[in-house]
Amino acid sequence: MRRVYDCFVNFTFLKRVPLAWLNLTHDRKRFVTSLGGVAFAVLLMFVFTGFMNALYDSQIQLLTKLNGEVIVINRLKNNMFVPASFARRRLYQVRAFEGVADAYPFYISEGAWKNPETGQSFSVRTLAFNLGDPVLSLPAVNEYIAELQLPNAALIDTRVRPEIGPTEAGIVSELADRRIRIVGTFELGTDFASGNGNLVMSDVNFLRYFADRGPEEDTRSFATADLGVVKLKPGATVEKVVAALQQALPADVLVLPRDGPDGFVTRERLYWQENTNIGFVFTLLTTMSFFVGIILVYQILYTDVADHWAEYATLKAMGYSNAYLLGVVLQEAGFLSVLGFLPGFAVSYLLYNAAAAATGLFFQMTSERVVNLFVATFVMCLVSGVVAVRKVQSTDPAEVFGG
Amino acid sequence: MVATISEQNSVSVAKELAIKIEHLNFYFGTGELRKQVLFDISLDLPKGQIVILTGPSGSGKTTLLTLLGALRTLHEGSLQVLGKEIVGLPDKALIPIRRNIGFIFQAHNLFESLSASQNVETSVELTRNIGEKRQLAVDMLGQLGLSDRVDYKPNALSGGQKQRVAIARAMVNRPKIILADEPTAALDKASGRDVVTLMRHFCEEAGTTVLMVTHDNRILDVADRIINLVDGRLESDSDLETQTSRIS
Repeated sequence: MRRVYDCFVNFTFLKRVPLAWLNLTHDRKRFVTSLGGVAFAVLLMFVFTGFMNALYDSQIQLLTKLNGEVIVINRLKNNMFVPASFARRRLYQVRAFEGVADAYPFYISEGAWKNPETGQSFSVRTLAFNLGDPVLSLPAVNEYIAELQLPNAALIDTRVRPEIGPTEAGIVSELADRRIRIVGTFELGTDFASGNGNLVMSDVNFLRYFADRGPEEDTRSFATADLGVVKLKPGATVEKVVAALQQALPADVLVLPRDGPDGFVTRERLYWQENTNIGFVFTLLTTMSFFVGIILVYQILYTDVADHWAEYATLKAMGYSNAYLLGVVLQEAGFLSVLGFLPGFAVSYLLYNAAAAATGLFFQMTSERVVNLFVATFVMCLVSGVVAVRKVQSTDPAEVFGG
Repeated sequence: MVATISEQNSVSVAKELAIKIEHLNFYFGTGELRKQVLFDISLDLPKGQIVILTGPSGSGKTTLLTLLGALRTLHEGSLQVLGKEIVGLPDKALIPIRRNIGFIFQAHNLFESLSASQNVETSVELTRNIGEKRQLAVDMLGQLGLSDRVDYKPNALSGGQKQRVAIARAMVNRPKIILADEPTAALDKASGRDVVTLMRHFCEEAGTTVLMVTHDNRILDVADRIINLVDGRLESDSDLETQTSRIS
């Protein structure tokens, strides 16, 4: 306690009596409760923004792993949920363009996976490609190229939802009513389009499962691909190649750069931002937590001010200005924001990990988000401080007499 | 003392006065509810005098004390505190005047979170004398017989000790004027006696003017002068030294 106090007080407030700190910490029990309150508000804000960001971030995880600067898709595929594929011969056309090193087809399909332990079926997403093409920049996948060449072999995502069952090499189960053997694992995570998790297999194996699943299901063949991943030669300009491809190829395909403001990744993220209520709901919840925090901190500071009303009024009678008293209350607010943020942050960090494990979503605690929430916490405490201090400022020092 | 002053000319009289009040009126409330509480008060308090202000409740004693302490804005009459006219001054301009005045209240009003010394230091900090504040506070507490209680929190002090810390806080800056509102009301006889004796001792030494409101008859004898206020008017003003000399 003493050390924390030294950190804050020694250089900022020099040799003044650290009234704010001492008033705040005088009653240890109340101080801890107060910090708990602030930490709780911080935790709420972290959880809500965390879920919002995780839902968005998860949607683009797979897309950022595609190893190519340009992406070709069916024009109708305006998000990853749409199962529209395009003619693979477009990719042969693409290869002829200047600046293009290669163009890889990428196949995606949904299929029912049977949990080997419970026997229940759950939908998973299968990702497939020619094993000779470096389509995914996932090192774990590239390690298993040899094993994936075996028939009915696949890799399983370790971050699938728990319903899928165990995720380890050697598991034998069923995918789309066919035997499947897991030969290894990789790490990706779930998103809205992935169902409960991801499998990776060779394009040849992909056909074994999805070429002919019966009369009610779509048939798949090498004639169509779901994504075209275009690798450019070193030195080629992405914008120029995209423009040239879009100009020359028929309008059934859409050519997009992978990154950038008009890129494939951003488009996917924007789709979920604009077409779902995720943003609205979680922003509302975060804002509510912010105001709950303001009220909590206001209560804490107001109690201090009200309990020490006579003492503060005495300070005014002695000749202290309102600005000094404002300073004291704002310092208290500052201490609360910093010391309440730390435990709130720590608990949120653990909670993010737990939530990521439970949902397979991608919970990212980036430094930018942490800083943003710290600023929000600080503003929260400051607003409460300014509101609470009005009580002291309106205090008439003359009333201390004969009180 | 009155005799000495009357012998001097008017210019030096003004110099020797800590507080000079002329035809002061004061009202509470505005409009229909406006009620006059002080009527045409004229009073001179010379430096170094210890004055006790008595009177029934509601007679305006405390109000007069708060006016002298520059705690309220004033509009009628004249009130000079240490030679500075404060009638008509806005709130903000009153703040620096308060720094020349020590206040002692019925309740000690010490911060429980601060030690005795730190409570006194809050007063020293007003003078920006931050380097020596600890020394000044400790010295002051020592003179009030609290040298072994310097780092105690108010909770660990007795009522009399707390009031002495409050006095140390009021006096540490050596103010020219001390205003005290029933400083012994919350104390038993012995500690009340101690407290006023100490105050008297210090004020005599430093030439401080003390104006004390009290109902406590046990301490009237420390005063040089007793003023009686009834219904907002000065009822009597008696100089104890002259009286005693007359009696003897």
